[in-house]
Amino acid sequence: MDVLVQLILNGIMLGSMYAIISVGLTLIFGIVRVVNFAHGEFLMVGMYAVYLLSLHLGLHPYVSAVPMVLMLFAVGALVQRFIIQPLLGADEHIQIFATVGLSTALINLALLVFGADLYSVQAPGVRQPLSIGGYTVLYAQVVMLVSALVLVAGLHLFMQRTPLGRAIRATAQNRNAAQLMGVRVDRIYVIAFGLGAACVGLASALISPLFPVTPTIGTYFVLTAFVVVVLGGMRSMYGAFLGAMIIGIVDSLSGYYIAPDLKEVVYFAIFILILIFKPTGLFGFGRGTE
Amino acid sequence: MKVLIKAALAAGLALSAAPSFAQDAVRIGALYPFSGGLALLGDESFRGLELAIEERNAAGGLNGRKIEMVRGDAVDPNQAVGEARRLASVDKVSVIFGTYSSSLSLAATQVAELAGVPYFELGAISDPITERGFKNVYRTNPTARIFANRMVDAVAEAVAPALGTDAKSLKVAIIHEDSLYGQTVAGYQQARAKEVGLNLVETLPYSAKSVDLTPVILRLKSAGADVVLQTSYQNDTVLFFRQMKEQGFKPKAVMGAGGGYSLRDTMQAVGPENMEGALNVDFTQYRTNPKAAPGIGEFVKKYEAKYGTAPRSGHSLANYMGAKVLLDAMASAKDLTAPAIREAVMAVDVAEGTTATGWGAKFNEAGQNERATPFLMQWQGGELLTVFPADAAVAEMKTGIGAE
Repeated sequence: MDVLVQLILNGIMLGSMYAIISVGLTLIFGIVRVVNFAHGEFLMVGMYAVYLLSLHLGLHPYVSAVPMVLMLFAVGALVQRFIIQPLLGADEHIQIFATVGLSTALINLALLVFGADLYSVQAPGVRQPLSIGGYTVLYAQVVMLVSALVLVAGLHLFMQRTPLGRAIRATAQNRNAAQLMGVRVDRIYVIAFGLGAACVGLASALISPLFPVTPTIGTYFVLTAFVVVVLGGMRSMYGAFLGAMIIGIVDSLSGYYIAPDLKEVVYFAIFILILIFKPTGLFGFGRGTE
Repeated sequence: MKVLIKAALAAGLALSAAPSFAQDAVRIGALYPFSGGLALLGDESFRGLELAIEERNAAGGLNGRKIEMVRGDAVDPNQAVGEARRLASVDKVSVIFGTYSSSLSLAATQVAELAGVPYFELGAISDPITERGFKNVYRTNPTARIFANRMVDAVAEAVAPALGTDAKSLKVAIIHEDSLYGQTVAGYQQARAKEVGLNLVETLPYSAKSVDLTPVILRLKSAGADVVLQTSYQNDTVLFFRQMKEQGFKPKAVMGAGGGYSLRDTMQAVGPENMEGALNVDFTQYRTNPKAAPGIGEFVKKYEAKYGTAPRSGHSLANYMGAKVLLDAMASAKDLTAPAIREAVMAVDVAEGTTATGWGAKFNEAGQNERATPFLMQWQGGELLTVFPADAAVAEMKTGIGAE
């Protein structure tokens, strides 16, 4: 029983980490309709930047969250403007190739600049275990969970209450109609891609104290993030959040009760079953819920 | 006129500094990953070979013939095959030295065997390299099976005595990353543990790309594991040590199979106080008693003089030792044809404790050196020190893991 509670707690913490990454991926997919295979590499770029800021300016990773969100927003916006936008009229496969190519290029660029060694960010205090009734979580994980909730709530308010948010939703629902109503769709895409990447900027600051950064760190997270996005119904932010929690808990439980090397088997099996029986995802709330 | 030329030639010969090389150079191939992801340790391995050859050339070469190296860059198994072909048929090298990585060696040795060119493996540990019935493949370094046996035996011979208990009363668990490397070592560990009658309570494979090893640690905790044997790369080693601390899991001993455990970066990422007491089985490292590894200090000096930095890992030392043994064998061969080299290699008989790695050399029919055994090391105060066996040790083995 004790172990079960600890595993579920652990799964929720893991889930909140996947949630922040997956919400960003969902925004890009749901609005721009591009599968961003370079999402994990955005995370990697962010984590190296957090490392450099911590090394040279002595910034705590959490303080770096602000510059990281801004920087990754810019990176995302530039990628949309100069790589994806020229290809919007082209076949979907071409866009996928473009992001896959970007991913490979970024990994190898990191190898060239930083080498294959791993770098660890100093973040005093945040990896301290926090004992709640005999169960262990880390401060960093609690911060992650709170940030994930705030992020989803914040994006919800932004999408519902601001004119820009409404324009983004309109674009996601019907690109042509939005354009006819005077929404500048191209600009919305740039902003949406930037927002999706900015989520990863937040993630990079929060994840840095937990994992050392290497050129391939993005690949550790991104495959799971894709499963989460599909599970959550492809375009639903809330679905992505719940999907991330489910995957986190499944990951944690199957790692213990089945076998650590079979946990991927378990959640990819769930993934395949969902694709077969409910292709719109577990939380496909229907159109317009983005 | 003729007399004059002869005189001039004679004078020229006399003037040319010793050692003078009477005949054509002996060409040898050096096949390593010089670029790509494996380049760092590939190059480190090559430096050991380079130093051994320079030393040999300075001492007169191979029976008066200078040794000339031809490099081959093996980035991946495909390229290893291509480069081995080039070395064998275009550059017509007498032998090939290599390779650091097992997958590269498995590919390149097939080409060399077909071409009838002797292949000297100085660093790859996968057992099948010397288990395929090849006549021209020889290996100086210990294999995965020897690593695994050393780890399991060390539990009985070193860990249990240090804890003051009987080895059979210890609960032993094996955890390993689930690619070929981890699977291979863990498979041999299981077999050996059964053989020597250890109480094996868990064997847990996990993906090296895991972002969470808490389930693994909770399983170990539930099983009450006293000793954990881990075969891992770098990221998963860091994650395991961090999460072990976070979950308050304190086994009596944790032992790694080289890989992530040997790297200074790993220790720094984990923190020296958390890595304190971690045991590790690997190729000979530099903090080893020179009485058991004569020449180790001289090697470091030569290395620093040539490359301007301290050795980056034990790979160069292992390659240096292997190259020296095999160059000696080549010097004693009656010619450099494959059968003559085989005869000479089979006649090699070097006692343990007489080379710079502390290994001896005696090759079996398959071409594997049977006198190469890795040592047991331990992280103490941010340094990786050899602690077992006693004559190679530079420090007393401690028990427990992490600072008290």
